[in-house]
Amino acid sequence: MPADTEQNKQPVIRISGLRKKFGNLIAVDGLSLEIFKGEILGFLGPNGAGKTTTINMICGLITPTDGEIHFQGNWSRQHNNIRSSIGICPQENIYWPKLTLYEQLKFMGEMYGKTDRYASKRSQELLKMMGLESKSNVLARKLSGGMKRRLNICLALIHDPEILILDEPEAGLDPQSRILVRGLIKSLAKEKTIILTTHNMDEADRLSDRVAIIDHGKLLLVNTPENLKKSIGEGDILEITLDTEKVENPEKVEEVLLQICDKAKISGNSLIIRSKNLIGKVSEITQKINGQDYKIREMTMRENTLEDVFIHLTGRKLRQ
Amino acid sequence: MKIFSIIKKSFKEQIRNFWILILTVSMAPFFVFIYYMIAEATKINYDVVLINQDNGFDLATGKFNHGDFLVDVIRKYQTDSLEIPLRVKMVENRLEAEKWLKNKKSNALVIIPADFSERIVKLATSQGDDGVDVEFIGDLTNINYMVTVIWVNEILSEYIVQVTGKPRPIKIKETGLGISGKIDDFDIWMPGIIILSIIMLMFSATIAIITEVENRTIIRLKLSRVSTFELLTGVSFIQILVGILAVLLTITVAVGLGFNYVGSIWIFLLIAVLTAISIIAFSLILAGATKSSNEVLIVGNFPLFVFMFFSGAAFPMRAGEMFSIAGYSLSWQSLMSPTHAISALNKVWIMDMSFKDIIPEITALILVTILYFIIGLWLFWYRHMRTG
Repeated sequence: MPADTEQNKQPVIRISGLRKKFGNLIAVDGLSLEIFKGEILGFLGPNGAGKTTTINMICGLITPTDGEIHFQGNWSRQHNNIRSSIGICPQENIYWPKLTLYEQLKFMGEMYGKTDRYASKRSQELLKMMGLESKSNVLARKLSGGMKRRLNICLALIHDPEILILDEPEAGLDPQSRILVRGLIKSLAKEKTIILTTHNMDEADRLSDRVAIIDHGKLLLVNTPENLKKSIGEGDILEITLDTEKVENPEKVEEVLLQICDKAKISGNSLIIRSKNLIGKVSEITQKINGQDYKIREMTMRENTLEDVFIHLTGRKLRQ
Repeated sequence: MKIFSIIKKSFKEQIRNFWILILTVSMAPFFVFIYYMIAEATKINYDVVLINQDNGFDLATGKFNHGDFLVDVIRKYQTDSLEIPLRVKMVENRLEAEKWLKNKKSNALVIIPADFSERIVKLATSQGDDGVDVEFIGDLTNINYMVTVIWVNEILSEYIVQVTGKPRPIKIKETGLGISGKIDDFDIWMPGIIILSIIMLMFSATIAIITEVENRTIIRLKLSRVSTFELLTGVSFIQILVGILAVLLTITVAVGLGFNYVGSIWIFLLIAVLTAISIIAFSLILAGATKSSNEVLIVGNFPLFVFMFFSGAAFPMRAGEMFSIAGYSLSWQSLMSPTHAISALNKVWIMDMSFKDIIPEITALILVTILYFIIGLWLFWYRHMRTG
């Protein structure tokens, strides 16, 4: 998705000043956000940050205390018109244990007001797409954990919703299923808007076009993962091993490097440099080291991760 | 359309919960069987010990022994009449008979005297007016002794009237109300027991509804914008069918165990089905007040006991009238639908009354059911379906 999407596209969902109070607890506090058609929005936040409450308000499962949610330009306080346009795959697998996979998919299709024929065809398509075709007539309670997760995604898609909310979609999946689900999410993003909540930063980084980070009910920031990694946190890490036993004047070398980097520390023949957008500075760093009459034996770089950004913004302390 | 899909889904789930279905429909017949066993075990019998000392009387045609004939008549009553539950034991001497009395194995000892035949013949031919002496022995303070000797006295008097041709000084005409007198305890208990059996459906019906909440599948249904009415009507429909099946099985078992009913079977079925619908409507209230099967089993005991003990299902209950509408008395118990159902069944089965006579009960039953349904729908919506 291009970085200038926000200027070019109309939002599918526009949330403004959203607020939810449960007694004295403010779960969501004045959250404003726009979600665009065809994007995958990673919705990140520590436990208790207000992610689920926000999603429940988007789905219309709970009513906001204050604020508005516009769906394709229309606003409804009860959001009833949005409900049928949203498919949700909750973190916990929700299914009917005594119905077969086909039966429950068809049943849910009918509950969304689809015709018997459509619900039947769509059920078969989804089962095939999720690799569950052979389990079509098996009772859901007899499935493995990974299969139940895939069934959960099928149930979210049965009515072909415009917006798909996936809460920890890869949780409990084996590597094969994870690849299948990731591929599916990517392919669905071409035609649907996807909101992805996850604790897996790697998953969010790989899949999301934009990432929204929420904490204490407030939206901290929203941007593309690349922009976030470039601008937030302590930056990338470059580890250099010099072709010498020991650097004789480490303070001098560090001083030279600190002219272009945020942090530089020498220990023995090992040099650790930290700075944002470090990849663009590698050539200059190499020149500076060579200028000090040292040769580089080995160099490894680790990019600033979304996890670093997340920790930087939300802190390391566990929630009580 | 949605209701039909929910009915189909609920039907499949019900069938696949095979053991729960079997236990649900067999619980009520089992309950009837238990009551039958209790009725049989507690059936009242009046035990009488007889000593026949009658020497008989020589007639031209041969020897004639009225004592033997009387014993035969008493024995005949024992086997042929439900109304006189006498059990007779013949013994040879008084000493042995008194042992039976002292050991509480018998309620009364009756001694037919040696001149029993002679006295009867003299009475019949008007040669004497001394009457007939028959000795009754027993615990005079024991109610069973009194009932026993009343029955023996009645049989004895009838026998003497017949063989002597002398009229009774007092002729009593006894008229039973409805079919009372022709039915036993099991028959009397049956209306209440059948309604009690239906009340028991409360748990299985509530659990069938609350499962959606417990499994959290209610979230999927809420998202699909299924209305509370559609969901509960669909789920309740199958539970009503289960209820009807349970009722039919119950009545079949009851009849098989000797239950005698009068009146139309269709009126019975109407009352039973309306009661089943009513209990399932009440289950909606219970489902609205709970969140899991465990809660249903705990919280559900309260309405179950109230329905059992205050509606007249477990035993007859007399309620103080608060007011009446068109002559139909209403009390606080009228808020319980089984109260009306039991009253209607008693009228039909015990009093042999017609459908017209139970219209007030049927009307009240329907109105209370509608009230339950409305409260149940609202409460379920408020607790489980509305947006918070």
